Formats: sequence, C-alpha cells, structure tokens
Amino acid sequence: MSAGVIAAATTTALCEPLHLGDWRSLLGVIWDFLSLSLFSLGGGNTLLNEYHHMAVDQYCWLSSRQFADIYAIAEAAPGPSSMIVGLLGMGAAVNEGPLWGLLSGVTAEIAILLPSTLVMVAAALSWNRLRHSPWRVAFERGLGPITLGILFAVGLKILRISDHDTPAYAVSLVVCVLMLRTKISPLWFMAVAGVMGAFGLVNH
Amino acid sequence: MAEPAVQPTHLQLFLGMQQVALSSFGGGLSAWSERIVVEERQWMNKEEFITGLTVARLFPGPNQINMAVYIGSRFRGLTGAMAALSGILFLPFSVLMLLGLGYYYLHETMAVDRVLAGVITASAGMALSMGFKIAGAYSRDPAAMVLAAASFIAMSVFHVRLVPLVLVAGPLAMAWYWPRDVKP
Repeated sequence: MSAGVIAAATTTALCEPLHLGDWRSLLGVIWDFLSLSLFSLGGGNTLLNEYHHMAVDQYCWLSSRQFADIYAIAEAAPGPSSMIVGLLGMGAAVNEGPLWGLLSGVTAEIAILLPSTLVMVAAALSWNRLRHSPWRVAFERGLGPITLGILFAVGLKILRISDHDTPAYAVSLVVCVLMLRTKISPLWFMAVAGVMGAFGLVNH
Repeated sequence: MAEPAVQPTHLQLFLGMQQVALSSFGGGLSAWSERIVVEERQWMNKEEFITGLTVARLFPGPNQINMAVYIGSRFRGLTGAMAALSGILFLPFSVLMLLGLGYYYLHETMAVDRVLAGVITASAGMALSMGFKIAGAYSRDPAAMVLAAASFIAMSVFHVRLVPLVLVAGPLAMAWYWPRDVKP
C-alpha cells in the first residue's frame, strides 16, 4: 500500500500522462473522485480548484486552457454545470479512443455523485429528526462562510486560467457585474463573448 | 409527514425528472422542477418542495441533483432516488458527452478555438460572480467574514487543498456557531 503511494507521488512530481488502461491507476482516479464527493459544498462549485489540480497539475489530462474550455462548455450546456466531471473523465482517456473517453467520462461522473447521493438519501429519509439537531444548525452556519471563501478562490482561479489580456479581463468583469445586477440569461453573455472571440476582439 | 395524494412509481419518477431536465434546456432548472413536481404532477405541496430544496442545498452535492434524489427517495427510497437521478441526468449528460467528443476532436480547428477563447472570458466572469452572489448574507457577521477571508487566503495564496481546509476550518467554524442558547 505505502509503496503504491510513493510510486504515485513520484509519478505526480513528473506528471506523466496517466494511462487509464492500467486498472490500478484507473481505480486510483475513481477513488480520487469518490473521496472528493462529500466535499462538494455550495452546490459543487467549491470543487473546481480540486478538479483543476487533479486534471492539470497532478495527472496531466488537460492543459489549463483546455480546463477553461470545458468549464465554459459545461456552463453553456443544458443541465447542472457540475457535470464538468464527465468532461474531465473523458479528457483523461480520450486519447485512447472515443469509446474509452465515454466510458471514463461516465465512470468519473458516477464516482463523484455516488457518495453525496447516498448521504442525500439518508438525509431525506431522516430529515424530521435532523432538522432540529444542533449538528444541523452548526453545520449550516459554520460551513456557509467557508464555502464563501472557497467560491472566491475558485472564481479567481478560473479568471486567471481563462484571461490573459486586458480586453478579456474587461469582458469578465462586465459579465460578473451583469450576473449580479441583472437577470439576463448567462447564455447571452457566452454567445456575445463567443462572437467577440471569433472576430479576434479577445484572445487567449 | 402526511401521505401524499400521489405515489409516483419508479418509472414515473424517471420520466418526471426527465421532463424537468428537458424543460430546463436553456436554464431555470429550479423553477421548472417546482412547476412540474408541485403544480403539474402534484407529488408534493409547495411547502414540502421548499423543505426538499433546503435539504438539497445543505448537504454535499449539486443542488438540482440532490433535489431529484430527495424527491425520489421520499417516495421510493434508495431505488427511487436512483430512478429520479437517472431521469434528471440522462439527457443533459448525453448531450454533454457529445459536446465533449466534439470538443476533444475538433478544438484545434481555428474557428472553434477562437470562439471558445471568447466564451471562456464570459464563463470566467460567471465564476467570479459566484462568491459575490452569496456574500451579502454574511456581510454583517464579522466572524463569518474572518472565516471566509481565511479560507480564501489559505486556498488562493497558500494553495491549501480543499479537503484539508474543510477538515480543519469546518470543525472550528461549527464549534463557533454551535447553538448555545437552545435548551435541550
């Protein structure tokens, strides 16, 4: 076991692309997602920094730019944006062919959702006892501010990996303000910014 | 908890959640969820639905997915939760996987790459707004601001990973906010 950990750490330092055909590294990745699941506070966005660390720094599945790309795709696509995990899993194995990519994407998504889903089932079934428990009150009030701090850290990280010139930062800041002050659908912001990108007004 | 008038079957849970997912292509998942579950299918009344949302937000996991799990498990336990979960995920996740394949095989095409370079500036702005959106709720509580600032600095400046951060800061924060004035 410990030898395996050391071997994994050595690989991490060099950051060699992982081969998911190797079932041991596959199990390792599944374990990584399973163990992050219960830390997805505030609806799951708090995990974005960890996903970036895993996919870019630790396992070299993606470049930082690719990470920014799939974040945007997950935000623009219908459904919960936390499904970005499916795209991460796909990126990990897509070099080995589309079928491996799909399989890996589905596996990663199941791994990230399974533990939190089981906890949620237990919570739903015992909520009447839980709701007046001091644990519930302390958890709700205590974890809120921590979630807030982490969301700012995540926002800053995504901003850093996405934007590299002044016009890009300006667009991001305008979108941020409009998100807070208006009820315009975010899809419009992405569409307009996409057109600006196509005409070369913002560059990466 | 009073017995609800309708007891959806596993298939109905799957189809109902699939309808929520389909209707909300383009946004507004939460509103659609309420419209379909409360108004159209009358599985729950509004009050029960709001309780569900509270539980879904409190526990780890994506809020809308947790809400589907809550609805499914309330009627049919664990297997109901799985049926509702599959219902809400199947279509959007399939679309996402197709988009993903398109991206990984096509993104080096010049046009796709330039459009995405623009789109990511918008999504970065959206990411930046997440913190500001909930900051107002804590602005009058100095302890909360200290906790938030410390968590932010730990992660952004000192690159502390999420799991150790939550494991250390979580219990401290819970001890601080432990309800003392409530008599047992």
